This record gives sequence, C-alpha cells and structure tokens, in this order.
Amino acid sequence: MSQYDQPQPGRPLPNPGWGPLSALPGNPLMWVLILSELVVFMAFFVLYITERAAQLSLFDSSQQQLDPLMGGLNTMVLLTSGLFVAFAVEAVDAGKIRRTRQWLACAAGLGVLFGAIKVFEYTSKFAVGITPETNTFFGFYFGLTAFHFAHVLFGLVLLGLVSWKTSLENVETAAAFWHMVDLIWILLYPLLYLLR
Amino acid sequence: MATLPGKRHLLITWGVLIALTVVSMVSARLDQDGWQALPLWSAALVVLVTGFKAQQILLVYLNLRQSTGAWKGAFIGIITLTLLLISAGYLYARLVV
Repeated sequence: MSQYDQPQPGRPLPNPGWGPLSALPGNPLMWVLILSELVVFMAFFVLYITERAAQLSLFDSSQQQLDPLMGGLNTMVLLTSGLFVAFAVEAVDAGKIRRTRQWLACAAGLGVLFGAIKVFEYTSKFAVGITPETNTFFGFYFGLTAFHFAHVLFGLVLLGLVSWKTSLENVETAAAFWHMVDLIWILLYPLLYLLR
Repeated sequence: MATLPGKRHLLITWGVLIALTVVSMVSARLDQDGWQALPLWSAALVVLVTGFKAQQILLVYLNLRQSTGAWKGAFIGIITLTLLLISAGYLYARLVV
C-alpha cells in the first residue's frame, strides 16, 4: 500500500491501487480528463477576457446581440439534466437497472433540448448575418459554445452507451463526463452572456 | 465505491443551483431595458454565485466531497483561479482601459 493509499479512519478509498488518484470517487481517469478540460477552458477564458479588455467597445456592442435569457434557460436545462444523471447513479447503485435507464433517458432528453436551444440561437445569429468571422467576440462566442456543444454531443453518445451496457462503473463514468459538461457551461454562461 | 449523496441531498442542491442561476440573471439586470455596464457589485455577485455553483457541482453532483481535502482543494482551487483571472480581466477593462 503506497502513501496515497492510506485510508482515512472510517472511510475506505474509492479506488485503492490508483496511487494519488485513489481517493477520487468514480473512474479516476475521468477526473484526469475533467482536470485537463478545466485547464483548457481556463486558457480560453483568459484569452477571451484579454481580448475583451483590448477591444472593449466591440465586445460590448456584440454581446448586446446575445440573448442572456436563452443562455439562462439552457443553464437550467443542463443543471436539471445533471440531476437526472445523478439520480441514474443512485438507481444503478441500488441495482435498479430499468429505473437507471429511465433517468438516463430523461437526462439525454434534456441534453437534446439544450442542443435544440443552442441550434436555435446559432440559426437566429446566422439569419441576421452574424457568423464566427463577424468579429473577435463572435469568433469566441461560436468557438467556445461550439466546443462545449461538441462535448454535449459526445456526452449524449456516452449516455446512450451506458444505457445499453448498464453497470455502476459505466454509469458513474458517463455521469462524471456529463457533470463536467455542466460545470464548464456554468463558467461559460456568465462570461459570454452576463458580465458586461 | 464512495458513498453517494442521496436523492434528498441532490434535490436540495439542484434547487439551490436553479435559484442561484436566477439570482445571477437578476443581478446581471436582465430585466432592464437598454444595455449598460453592470455595477461592480452586480458583476461581483455574478462571479461569486458562479463560483458557488461550480463548487456545488464538484462536491455534490461529482461527489468530490468523498475525496481528500487535497483533491477538493485542487479542483476548487482551479475554479477559483479561473474566476479570479476572469474578474481581474473584467476589472482591468472596466477601471483601466
């Protein structure tokens, strides 16, 4: 047993044998991915805020063309979807496979709704001639939200896969990915839509 | 296997997260007609609420509360650093540029 594997009194390690990662709940490799994604998005956020300071009036005038209520609605959709995924983990832990699949389907349904709202936002921008090439702000807006959207789509595939191959480890791993998508949106929303 | 939060805890957390989303939308003054820069206190509230929401997702949804203090500190530290950098850039644009 390594120095990292020393269990705390009364609390066994979730992943014994994983060295420094052994104290993390769920699949330790998913935590590595979460950490990397957070660092990548942090770098993008710093780039955004630096460019904003350099082109403040352009960013301000462009930001006015976003709909913060849509962004807020999408935040609530993702948070609720995260709740359903967490319920799915509770259900699979209790051995309720059918209920697990139902929660996963609810979560995926809300993921699809998030995507539909995002597509509506994109098409309404395209309809008035706003594209990623319009200016730096919209380059960031489309770039960051599309990168996040790609994660949502991948998350939907994962939710589908674990609904098929339903086990505690699989559901926990997909749930962790889904919560990471949620977490990144929580940071993205105020940055793009609210702070002005 | 770590101990899961339980449905009641998850529901309470969800309620708090939804309520805080509304708080951040209100503090960003989305109800006002016309566009104007946020008062600094509103911007600060938006950032603080965001930090708290991110912390709740990490600790409850992702169940990081079951881990060691070092891991909790590392992940919450990254979120805090991100928000500090965002705030610094925002303040620089507001007060210096």
